[in-house]
Amino acid sequence: MSRGTAIDADLEGSVSPPRDNGEIVFAAPWERRAFGLTIALCRSGACDWEGFRTRLVARIAERQSRPYWSSWAAALEDVLDDSAALARAQIDVREREFAARPHGHDHHH
Amino acid sequence: MSSVRETAGDDPALRVEALEALLVERGLVDPGVVDDVIEHYETSVGPLNGAKVVARAWSDAPYRERLLADATKAVAELGFGGTEGQMIVAVENTPSVHNVVVCTLCSCYPWPVLGLPPAWYKSPAYRSRMVAEPRAVLREMGLELPAEVLVRVWDSSAEARYLVLPERPAGSDGMREGELAKLVTRDSMIGVARALPPGETGGRA
Repeated sequence: MSRGTAIDADLEGSVSPPRDNGEIVFAAPWERRAFGLTIALCRSGACDWEGFRTRLVARIAERQSRPYWSSWAAALEDVLDDSAALARAQIDVREREFAARPHGHDHHH
Repeated sequence: MSSVRETAGDDPALRVEALEALLVERGLVDPGVVDDVIEHYETSVGPLNGAKVVARAWSDAPYRERLLADATKAVAELGFGGTEGQMIVAVENTPSVHNVVVCTLCSCYPWPVLGLPPAWYKSPAYRSRMVAEPRAVLREMGLELPAEVLVRVWDSSAEARYLVLPERPAGSDGMREGELAKLVTRDSMIGVARALPPGETGGRA
């Protein structure tokens, strides 16, 4: 850690990092959320990273044309369903409840 | 049940919102932690970390040796690492060998040093074609390699996430680490580009 201090001082603050690396990686807020949920779950131990990765590989292989973050979200549901942390059917129920919300409450924060 | 969804069906946003609500109710996830994770990966973890690693390796021969011997440990010396980025392996470009990285199965990537992978890295076309015809793909991405240069394609996995140590550009002698790091782009550390020549950094948007 201490070895990084000098170069950190060179690159941060007034000298801003190169921005051509700043490609947008999330096209929609739900993609960002699905990513954050997965990492948070893995950090707390509620989800096993390697198990998730295996499911992600399988979901991507299953249908190459599916958007990447859709495969990611599907894989997250898979690991949660596998470990009985959260059954897919329960997500179905909640999703329907959310879909039935009156207009004006159906947007995503 | 009216319909059985595969998952994240016609409204993935609603689906993920439902998923998060249930996880929060069960105490499996703290929304604040999710926010922190996202913020961390969007702002703190990025290719700049990798650029610092490369600049150090260019400037400090013993560090370069340590990086090539055990990149996970060498990267940790600069304070970068984490559970999702274990097993980083550095591969060095030379005048006769050019390394390029792909993940044929999914999107394995050295997050702690490169941030999140770009969209093209995850595309089926890149994942399949980089193995089959690397020179053609590199040419399309703007990197023409002489025929005598050997191209090595590394398939990242959970066991080994590759980081390319690009060649130090000509004319960069005497530059300090902080200046050198600005020559190191994300693409140069994936191996689909070279590091920038000195003098070109000022024009970068």
